[in-house]
This record gives sequence, structure tokens and C-alpha cells, in this order.
Amino acid sequence: MNDDDDDDTPLLELADCTLGYARRAVVCVDRLAVHPARCLGVFGPNGSGKTTLLRAIAGLLKPMTGEIRRVPRLRVGYLPQLRTIDPTWPMSGLDAASLAASSRSLPGWVGRGRRRAIRRRMEQLAVRDLAHRPFRTLSGGQQQRILLAGVLAIDPQLLLLDEPTDGLDLRSRDLLVETLRQEKQAGLGIVLITHDPEELAMLADDVVHLHVPDAPGEPSHLDLRTPARANAATRIATSELNPRN
Amino acid sequence: MFPDPFYYPLLFTAAALAIAAGVLGTFVLLRREALVALAVPQIVAIGAALSLRFAWPKLPPALVAVAVALALLAWARHRGLTGLLPGLYVAGVSISFLVIANSGAHVAEMQNLFTGIDVAVTAQDATALAGPALGAAMLAALLWRKWLLLAQSPTMARLSRIHPIAWEIGFLALLGTVLLMGTNTLGVVMVLALLFLPAATALPWARRIPMTLACAVVIGLLDVYAGFEISNGMDWPFSQSVGGVGFCLLLVSHLAAAIRG
Repeated sequence: MNDDDDDDTPLLELADCTLGYARRAVVCVDRLAVHPARCLGVFGPNGSGKTTLLRAIAGLLKPMTGEIRRVPRLRVGYLPQLRTIDPTWPMSGLDAASLAASSRSLPGWVGRGRRRAIRRRMEQLAVRDLAHRPFRTLSGGQQQRILLAGVLAIDPQLLLLDEPTDGLDLRSRDLLVETLRQEKQAGLGIVLITHDPEELAMLADDVVHLHVPDAPGEPSHLDLRTPARANAATRIATSELNPRN
Repeated sequence: MFPDPFYYPLLFTAAALAIAAGVLGTFVLLRREALVALAVPQIVAIGAALSLRFAWPKLPPALVAVAVALALLAWARHRGLTGLLPGLYVAGVSISFLVIANSGAHVAEMQNLFTGIDVAVTAQDATALAGPALGAAMLAALLWRKWLLLAQSPTMARLSRIHPIAWEIGFLALLGTVLLMGTNTLGVVMVLALLFLPAATALPWARRIPMTLACAVVIGLLDVYAGFEISNGMDWPFSQSVGGVGFCLLLVSHLAAAIRG
């Protein structure tokens, strides 16, 4: 089998899709593909349908029209937003890292092999020594790296990130982005929803911009751009944030 | 040192309930389901009132009442209706007494069910409670990682084809089993005391869920033992003694945690 052919095969492809809830269309997509070893950045204002698009990519939302094609048995990982984590639940760093693995078995048990994989990933992300510390006492950057280690331990082909650096300081953000870049180079396909133009510039190979519809009730339309240089993504995002620039 | 054998069924039942309620109570507090846990025993009382009024066996009407209430609750959550739960609580308190209105002996029995002041437990009652309640608790404890996942990232769960609503109904069924068996046998006060107080005592010190569950169970057993001794020594009602001890331990735990920072 030719490696180049493998790289060209998208992990997932949306064609002529209308996405929405009940009978209300939220986003229209003519064509969109997510490839291995590439990052698709999704950018747009609140209410433009970013989460709807992510839900469809994740397979949690069926398209109202059109088709979503996936490679068979696609393994999808999801990194939750830190602000959705409830700190009142007592858990150690290792428990938090085991969340993704526990979703893979009916009773939620994490076997010895999976635990080894989680520890290996924690080691790789320099959070191995936080395994037995209470999760809620850790910094945002440490927490996010622990969760990422857990998601990577299930060996996903496609990783979905919903504002992964939200609330992190600059150093933690850069560390996380660097880790994601390494994983991308190793073949991981990434879909990144973010409000941070710099993050897009550092990570995204393709940028999808969702436009808020002109008339209320109309679906958002999707504008896909593939920046020639990394900082072009920043320009796209920044020009949307500051239209006068 | 050893209590009168007459009390063995009562102590065995209370100990089994302490174990089951310690486990379920921890998840009830973490999942912020306290109002459900308060409402279900009131619903059990409707079933108990029906069985008194029509001289039916004790358990089946209560079981039907709880099943209907939990089904209603699951439907209301699915539809986003938040007002039904407090409504169920009030309905339980009101309807249970309306069913037996103007029947003095039955009213006294219902008051016993609510206050748990004059509790009599047979060996048969003890056996009937222990199996389902301990089974429900064991299942809830073994699934702790699942409850944690559903609380922390429902999206991650859905990606693995886990349906949060189905698991929520499962949890309500486990909780309903413990509350139903406990209320029917030992009364509302004992059930609520063992459900909330040991878990709330353990939680300020919690670092991981398995250890928290174990601590809540041990504290619950300690409550039962100390409550029984005090009840015997002071000639106080058993359920209220357990509640009193539990509340003192809760205060000490929270004060110590506050001092420790």
C-alpha cells in the first residue's frame, strides 16, 4: 500500500450537508474533509454553529440532508473544556486521565493495559508525578495536559478539541499546542474549535470560518481556507475579530 | 456488650441500610440529587397508605408508586420541566394522609412511618431489605467510573455510544430501590439520616471516590451503633438518635476540614 495514498484518504468527509436540530438548519456545508496529520481549525462568532459542526463531525448529530462519510471504525477522541469539569467530584490525576478509557467499557473499568498506556502518555506530557494528586488542586495547564494524556491513551485517529486553551496562561497554552503539533506530525487528525487566532496560527492547516447568517433563522455558511503560511490563519481570524484592520 | 437478640433484626437491617445508603448517598450528593432523595420516601408513603387503607401487602403498592414517580421524573427531566420534583414531594406528604383520612389507627401507623419512632423489624423484613439494598449499592459502587465520566464529560460518553439518559434512569432505579426498601422497613427519618449524613461527613476529606464510599459506609455503621447505644441508654427513639449522632459527626468533620483549610 502506498503511504501517499493513505495520507490523501480523509478520515471524515461532509458533502452537501445541512446540519441542525428538529427542522431548524444551523449550518450548511458544501464540502469539508478532515485528513490524518492535519488540523482543521473552526472559527466563528458565538451562535454561528461551531458546536453543531463539531457534533456532526463527532457523529452525535445526523445531517438533515447530505452525507457524512467516515473511514471504517474511526476512533474519535474528545478533549472536554476545562470549565465543564466539576471540581466537587473527588478524583486524582490518574482518575481524570482515565475518563476517556473508562468510556470504552460497559462498566467503565480500566484494565491494566489501558492504565499502562495512560501512565506512558502522562510521562510523555510530563504529568506522571501528578497521578496521585487531587485533580482540583492542580493548575489549569496541568489539568488540561492530564486530560489530553488520557484521550491520547485511547489512541484516537481523530481528536476533537473544543476551546482547549480557554483559561490557560500563555506558557501552558504553548506547551499544550506544542504537544498537539507533535501528535499531528505523528499522524493524528485534529479538529480545533477556538476563539484564539494565535492558536489557529500555531496549529491549524486549514481554517473554516463560519459566518453568522444575515437574516435570523437562516443557516450559517462555511468558508474554508487553506493558509499558505501558518500566520495566514491568524490574519483570517484577526480580520474577522477586527473588521477595520 | 452484646444487645438483646430481640434487636438483632433491627440492627442487621439498619447496618445493611447504612452500607447501601452510604454508597448511594455519596453519589446523590455529588450528582446534586438531594431533592429526589427527599421526595422518593414521601412517594413510598403513598404506597404504604394504600396498603393500610385496603389491607394490601406492604411492598407492592409502594413499589408501583415509586416506579410511577421515577418514570414521571425521568420524563420531566427529558422535557426540561423542573417544577415536577418539588411537586412530587408535596404530593407524597399530602396524598399519603388523605388516603387514610379519618382512620385513627392508620394515621398513627403513618406517623410512625414518617418519624420512625416506634420501629419494629422482623427477621423476614431484615432479609427482604438486605438483598436488594446491598445489591443496588454494590452495583452503584462498581460503576463509579461511569458516574464520574457522565458527570465530567457527557460528550465523551456519548462518543462511545453511552446514553446519559439511560444511565440516569439506571441511577434513579438503584436509588429508588434503597429508598423504597429502607423507608418501608425503618421509616423516613432513618433512611434520610443514613443517606445524607455519612456521605456529607466523608466528602470534605475526599480525594478519590472509592475511598469516599468506604468512609461513608464506615461512618454510617458507626452512626447506627452509636445511635443504638444512645437510644437504649437514654430511652430515646432509634432513628432520631442515629440522625443526632450523624449530624454531630457531620459538624465535627466540617469544622475540622475548615480548620485544616
